[in-house]
Amino acid sequence: MHLFLLGVSHRTAPVDLRERLDFSSRDLTAAAGAIAAKPSMSEAVVLSTCNRSELYVATTDPACAREELVSFISEYHHVSAPTFQPHLFALENSAAVAHLFRVAAGLDSLVVGEPQILGQVKDAYQTSASNRCVGPVLSNVFRWSFGVGKRVRTETALGEGAVSVSYAAVALARKIFGRLTGRRVLVVGAGEISSLTAQHLRAHGVGEIVITSRTHAHADELATVVGGLAVPWDAMTNALGAADIVITATGSQRPIISRAQLEAAQGHRRGSALFIIDIAVPRDVDPSVGEIEQVFLYNIDDLQATVRENLARRASYVGALMAWTPRRIDASVPVRIVETEDGSRRGFGRAWGGVASDFEVVRLEGGHTRLILDHGDEVAAALRRWLGGAFEAAPNEKTET
Amino acid sequence: MNTLPLLLYAAAGVAYAIHFARRDSAVGRAATTLLLFGALVHTFVIGMQTMEVRHLPFANFSRAVSSFVWLLTLSYLYLELTTDERSMGVFILPVIIGLQLIPVLHPGVERADPVLDSPWFWVHVSSLLFAYASFALAGVLGVTYMLQFKEIKKKHLGYFYTRLPSLQILDIMNSRAVTVGLVFLTFGVIVGVVWTAQARTIAPDDPNLRAMSIYDPKIFVALLTWGVYSFAVFARRTLGWTGRRAAWLSSLGFAFAMVNFLAINYFVTTSHTFY
Repeated sequence: MHLFLLGVSHRTAPVDLRERLDFSSRDLTAAAGAIAAKPSMSEAVVLSTCNRSELYVATTDPACAREELVSFISEYHHVSAPTFQPHLFALENSAAVAHLFRVAAGLDSLVVGEPQILGQVKDAYQTSASNRCVGPVLSNVFRWSFGVGKRVRTETALGEGAVSVSYAAVALARKIFGRLTGRRVLVVGAGEISSLTAQHLRAHGVGEIVITSRTHAHADELATVVGGLAVPWDAMTNALGAADIVITATGSQRPIISRAQLEAAQGHRRGSALFIIDIAVPRDVDPSVGEIEQVFLYNIDDLQATVRENLARRASYVGALMAWTPRRIDASVPVRIVETEDGSRRGFGRAWGGVASDFEVVRLEGGHTRLILDHGDEVAAALRRWLGGAFEAAPNEKTET
Repeated sequence: MNTLPLLLYAAAGVAYAIHFARRDSAVGRAATTLLLFGALVHTFVIGMQTMEVRHLPFANFSRAVSSFVWLLTLSYLYLELTTDERSMGVFILPVIIGLQLIPVLHPGVERADPVLDSPWFWVHVSSLLFAYASFALAGVLGVTYMLQFKEIKKKHLGYFYTRLPSLQILDIMNSRAVTVGLVFLTFGVIVGVVWTAQARTIAPDDPNLRAMSIYDPKIFVALLTWGVYSFAVFARRTLGWTGRRAAWLSSLGFAFAMVNFLAINYFVTTSHTFY
């Protein structure tokens, strides 16, 4: 039994092709079911996001599976095979496991380290599992990948640093105020980014969100979305005095918040910090406001600059993480021994960064099990460490039955 | 006897630095463990000396420094364990290690003087040492606040931004440390005045006691320090001097406290020179 992966991703295919091969907008369960029902394949998971469509299958014959999958994709999406075939990538066994790990860890994402992908991998697996489309091979490999994804997320800096403007604003707010519980937010002018930022802030537990806009209906609308309170435009100066975080996003051609206005408001604040996020272009807040003690003023360019820095930092981690991760993963993820349908037992161990391996497991007399590996001593040593005395590793030995 | 704690503190300092640079939580835990061991051994050393002279050992300058380091370590550990925040370690450990060098290099002998054999005197010194330990913590918190404040204000979110706790937390911890320190400083000074009055009746000819007045450098700087911290507390309450201003004041206050504790003890003979 082999693990086989065929798919397209943002690395191999342009967006219009990825859109045409997208499974997620249609019935994923049916697609996985149809693949698993093919004669050469016994298990299937369809992972489809806006950046990738990947088919993971367990098969007895990878070459045959490839042909069947290509014709399946062609029929299912009504796209002729020559259109997408040059953009496909295919991986087998350990290489496929390693790829899945990178995907689950967010290393293969367009925005490196983005957190959604792990959930998407889990969903893809769940969809197949609830439809009985997964067996021992895929269920082990996928569940293992969840652990890898989680560890990379929690134990490395890969996911650190906000990579969208609205998250960058929230991250800054948390760095200034610590916990945001009970903080008061003023939103001036309703727009897409101000709405997103307000929602993120709400999710972080801010107290009151006050919204004001020249067009009262817009303020009302946003107030409903984020659970805030819409106030009339001329109440802005008062609200300014009470707020901890201010988001401005009006279409005004001239600044609507001046230094004098804020200094008057600061007088009542007794030195508490004020974080102003000015995402309007042209700017809504006079830049000299940022010179006031305890006022932190960020405009859209500043936030975008931090986003760019964070993205660059994440990208710089990838190389190191690829080399660093095997050590760390090893220490926590034992070798999975998988009993496959044809009666053979297969294990997946160290499937990361080139030392990946899959191997036969043969039970010997006296309760000993022999692992037949096709990789070097390093893998064998890791296995011996994990499996203890009950197992005996025999590197570089070919299959014996 | 003070060498073993010093070595443990130095090892903890290295571990805190690695933890800060690499943000490796395992190294961080190792740093805390080393520091705990250092504090434990130091407690033992202080305990031995206490049994030897029958009171906390600080009538001698270098032993007083050792006691101060011990109090500072305990205060820092309390702060770290209650806030679960290790990033201050790399800033406080250099203070701990640097000061612990003094008792290691100049052990000194505890002076046994009947004049000093009064509970008032020991309460006076303990309170002041504890106040200085609090001020040391506040000073370090103030410096880290300013480092991070600068990064956020100038929009260069860099090294410290990713490693330090939020400004709000630093400010609150700073405020608490200053308040606690001020309470003990005030108490220590009052006890000192009471003790001087009592001791003068016992030993009217003691030259130290005769020299104790507001013009004595040590007492003068102590009162200056008290002034700085009192203003810091007052300004925070009434003028809204939080954040960077408070951080700056606590760093200034700590500079005064250290001048008083180290430089004046070392270079100037004052009414508080007892050895």
